[in-house]
Amino acid sequence: MAVLRFSIACLCLICLGGVLFILPGTAAMADPIVIEHERGTVTLDQPAKRVAVTNWAFAETLIALGLDPVAIADPADYRDWVAKPELPDDFIDLGQRGSPNMEALRKAKPDLILISQELEMAYENLSTVAPVMMLSVYDDGNVAFDAATGMLRKVARAIGREDAGAAYLRKVDAQLGEYGNRVRDILGPDGALTVASFYSEANIAVFGAPSLYGSVLVRMNVPLAYQGDVSKWGFARGGLEILAPLAKSTLVYTNPIPDVIHEKAWSSPIWKIMDFVRNNRVYELPVVWAYGGVPSGLRFAKLLTESLESGPVR
Amino acid sequence: MTITQPRSPAILTGVLGLLALTCLVIDFGPFLQRGLASQVMFTPDETDFDQILFHYSTLPRLAMAFLCGAGLALAGAAVQTVLRNPLASPTTLGVGAGVEFALTLFVLLAPASLAMFQEAFALAGGLIALGAVYLIAANRGNATLWLILAGMIVNLLLQSGSQIVLLFNEQYLQSIFMWGAGDLAQNGWESTQFVLPRVALGMLAILALSRPLDLLALGDDTAGSLGAKVTLLRLVILGLAVFITASVISAAGMIGFVGLAIPAALRIAGLSRSRDLMIYSVFTGGFALLVIDFVVRQFNGLGGDTLPTGAATALFGAPFIIFMLRKARIMPGSQSEDQHSDQQITSKTVLSVCLAITLVIGVAFSIFVSLDGTGFVLLAWNEGNLDIMTGRAERTFAAMICGAALAVSGTLIQRVGRNPLASPEITGVSSATALAMIIALAIFGFGQRAELMVIGALGGIISLIVLLLLCRKFTHAPHYMLLNGLALTAVLGAIVRIVLTRSGTQTSMLMSWLAGTTYFTSMDEVLIVAAVTGVLLIVAIALRRPLELASLGPEQSVSLGLGISGFQFAMMLLAAILAASATLLVGPLSFVGLMAPHLARVAGYRLAGGHLLGAVLIGVNVMMVAEWLARNMIYPAQLPTGLIAALIGTSYFLILAVRKR
Repeated sequence: MAVLRFSIACLCLICLGGVLFILPGTAAMADPIVIEHERGTVTLDQPAKRVAVTNWAFAETLIALGLDPVAIADPADYRDWVAKPELPDDFIDLGQRGSPNMEALRKAKPDLILISQELEMAYENLSTVAPVMMLSVYDDGNVAFDAATGMLRKVARAIGREDAGAAYLRKVDAQLGEYGNRVRDILGPDGALTVASFYSEANIAVFGAPSLYGSVLVRMNVPLAYQGDVSKWGFARGGLEILAPLAKSTLVYTNPIPDVIHEKAWSSPIWKIMDFVRNNRVYELPVVWAYGGVPSGLRFAKLLTESLESGPVR
Repeated sequence: MTITQPRSPAILTGVLGLLALTCLVIDFGPFLQRGLASQVMFTPDETDFDQILFHYSTLPRLAMAFLCGAGLALAGAAVQTVLRNPLASPTTLGVGAGVEFALTLFVLLAPASLAMFQEAFALAGGLIALGAVYLIAANRGNATLWLILAGMIVNLLLQSGSQIVLLFNEQYLQSIFMWGAGDLAQNGWESTQFVLPRVALGMLAILALSRPLDLLALGDDTAGSLGAKVTLLRLVILGLAVFITASVISAAGMIGFVGLAIPAALRIAGLSRSRDLMIYSVFTGGFALLVIDFVVRQFNGLGGDTLPTGAATALFGAPFIIFMLRKARIMPGSQSEDQHSDQQITSKTVLSVCLAITLVIGVAFSIFVSLDGTGFVLLAWNEGNLDIMTGRAERTFAAMICGAALAVSGTLIQRVGRNPLASPEITGVSSATALAMIIALAIFGFGQRAELMVIGALGGIISLIVLLLLCRKFTHAPHYMLLNGLALTAVLGAIVRIVLTRSGTQTSMLMSWLAGTTYFTSMDEVLIVAAVTGVLLIVAIALRRPLELASLGPEQSVSLGLGISGFQFAMMLLAAILAASATLLVGPLSFVGLMAPHLARVAGYRLAGGHLLGAVLIGVNVMMVAEWLARNMIYPAQLPTGLIAALIGTSYFLILAVRKR
C-alpha cells in the first residue's frame, strides 16, 4: 500500500506543481483534464496521445474516435473475434488481456492506460507505468450499450476529442434508428427478436436487455422476446428448452458456431418443433464481439439488418 | 470395516431407489395425471411441445444420469477392488484428467474429418494416464499411499497441460468449461445411444470377471497360488473400468466423486464380496446421480444460469466423503517408509554451494536477461531501465519467496507426517484461502488486491481454526487432516469449474491467477510473506531436534497415547500458515512444496535442519527458473508461473519413475 500512497502523493504533487505552474501562466494554457473513473479520478495535464488498451472494447472505441492505440492486448484474436474496425499497422503487442505484459507496456511509453474491472487486481502495478482509468462496460446492473456510451464519452474527454465523440454518438444514434426501422419492417407489427449463441448443442445463451445485443435492440426500438433473468454478463443460459417460450419470435444465432455443434443442434427433434424453425424465421449473424463497445454495437445493428434483409437460413 | 452389517447396503440402495422413484414421479407428474405416461415415453405426440420436450430432453437426461452414475460407480468399485485401495477411483487415478486432456486437445486441434477417432483418443488418454500412475507407484513400499499420490501428480500434470492449451484458445473456452463441469443437459437420445451399449458391455464384462476379483482381493500371493493370472486379470479389469469411464466422460463431461463415494459407502455399509459390491454399485450409483441431477435441475435458470451436474456432485460429495472415510478408518497408515534407494547424488556441501551459486547467477540473469520474441536481450544498467529491473525483481522475488515458503511447509509436513510424498495442500488451508478469494472475486465482485488479500487471509484463518477444533476431537488427526485437505481441494476444484463456466470477461485473468501467477504481486506483499517465511523457517530450524525425533517412527506418538503429538500438530500448523501465505501471494500453487523437500531428501539432506535448508534452496531455484520461463518463453504473452513449476515438477517425477524401471 505504501507504493499506492506514494504514487498518490506523487500525483498530488504533480497536480499541485501543475496548478502552481499554470496559475500565473498564460491563459492559452488549457486546464488539466479531470475524469472520474471506478477507482477515483485521473488528472491529465494535456489530452492523452499515447493510449494503451487492455481489452478490445477500448481498442475499437479509440479507433472509432480516430486515435490509434499504441499498445493492444491479444491483437491476433481481435482480428478473428472483433474483425472491424481494423487495427492500426503499428502498435505494441501486450500479450493476453488477462495479464498484459508490463515490460511491453513500458516500451510503448503510454500516457494513459485503460482497463476494466477484470484487471482491478493489477491496478496498483499498472499505475506505476502511467495513469490508469478503470471503466467497466460489463458489470452487475450495467446496461451494456449505455455503459459503452458512457465509456466512449470519458475516453473521448481523456484524449481531448469530446466533439468528435459527440458527433460519432449522434451518427450512431441516427444509424441505429434507421436500422431499427428496417428490422421492424421485416419483423412485422407483432414480431420480436431473440438473439442466441450456441456454446454447444445443449448449452445455449439467450441475450437479455442488459447485454450488448439486447441494449442495442432497445436503442433500435426493436422488441426483444426474452425478458427473463440474466447473469452478470447480460444473458441467460440453458439447454435448447430455454428457446421454447421464445419460439414465436424470430431467432438470430451468432457466430462463430462450430460445424459439429450446428449439425447436432439442428438435427434435434426439440429444435425441429420450434415455431421459428417450422416457419422459417431463423437468421445467422456474422462475427460480432459480444463484449465490445459502441462500435461493436453499431456493427451488430448493421449486420443484423443485412442478415434479416438477405433472408432466413435454410 | 471388518464389522459386517449385512442389511445396511440394501437399506442404502433402497432409500436411494425410493428417492429416485420420487424424482421420476415428480417428472412424470403432469403426464401421469392425463394418462399419457406411456405415450410420452414411447410415441410422443409430435405436435405437443410439452411431450416433445419431455421425450427428448427430460427423459434422456434421466437415462443419462442413471447410466453415468451406474457406470462410474461400477468402474470405481472395480478399480478399488483391483488395487485394493479404498481411495482409488478413475478420477483420483488420473483417468478423468487424461480423458479430459485428450478430448480438449482433440476438440481444439483435430480436423472434423477425424471425428470418428475421438473416442479412441479419449480412451488412449485415460489409459496412458493410468499407466503413468501405475508406473510411478509400482514397486513402492506402501502401494496404497503411493497410488493416491502418484494420481495427484499425474492429475496435476494433465490439468496443467489442459490449462496451457485452453489459455491460448480462449474462444472455445465456454463449451469446454461447460463440458469440464459435467453438464447433463440433453436434446435427443444421441448421447444415451452412445453411452448405453458401451457401459452395458463394460458392465457385463466386469461382472463376469467378478469372481476372480474376489481372489485378487485376497492379495497377489494368495490369488496367484489359487491359479489366477493376477497381472493379466488386473490389466483387463482396469482397462474395462477405464473404458467405461472414458465413454461416460466423453458423452457427459467430468463427473467425479460418484466413482469414489458410492463403492466406498457400500463397503462401509458392509459389502465385502466384489460381486455384491459391483451389483450394488451399479444401482446405487445410478440412483444417486439421478437424484443429484434432479436436485441440480431445480436450480436451472436461477440467476439466468445453469448449474453443471458434475461440479455440483463434487461440491456436495466432498464433505460426505470426509464423513464416510473418517468413520471407516480406512486411510492408509502413516508409518510408510520411503523405500526406494535414496542414493546420495553428490556431496551435500558441493550441492549446497552449487545451488547457492545458481541462485545468485539466476537472480542476476532473471533481472538483466529477457527474450523479446526475436532473441535474448541484455538490459543495460542505467537510470531509464530502473523501472523494468524493479518490476522483474518484484516478480522474481515473489516466485522465490513462494518457493521457499512452500519448501519449508512441505518439509515439515513430510517429516511430521512421515510421508515422503505429502504436500502442503494436504492441510486444506491453502485451498481454503484460494476458495475465499475466488468466491469474493468471481461471485461477490471484490476486485481490489488489498481486499482480496484480507478475505483470503480470513478464509485461511477460519479453516485453520476449524482444523484445530476438529483435530482436538479426533484421535486420528493426521488422517483427518489429509481428508480435510482432499475434501477442501475437491470443493475448490468444483467451485472453480462452476465459476469458470460463468466468468464472462474475467476468464483469462481467472485462469492465470488460479494456476499461480506473480503478475499481480507487489513488493510490499513480497516483503511481508518473506518476513513470515523467514521467521517460521528460523523457528523450524530451532526445533530441528524434536523434528528429527518426530520423523523417526510411530513409537513416540503412540507412547503419548494419541495418534498425533502436540508437537506434530504445531508443526502442521506452521506448515499450513506458510502454505496459506504463499497462496495469498501468487494463488493456489503448491507443487513445489511436494517436490523441493523430496528432492532435498533424495539429494542427501537427511537431518531435519539440513533438509529444511536444502529444500528451501531447491524450491527457490525451481521457482526462479519457472518464473523466468513463464515471463519470457512466449513473449509478450505470459504463462502462469505455477503451470511451469507444475510441469517441471511432474516431469521430474515421471522421469524418475521411468528410470527406476
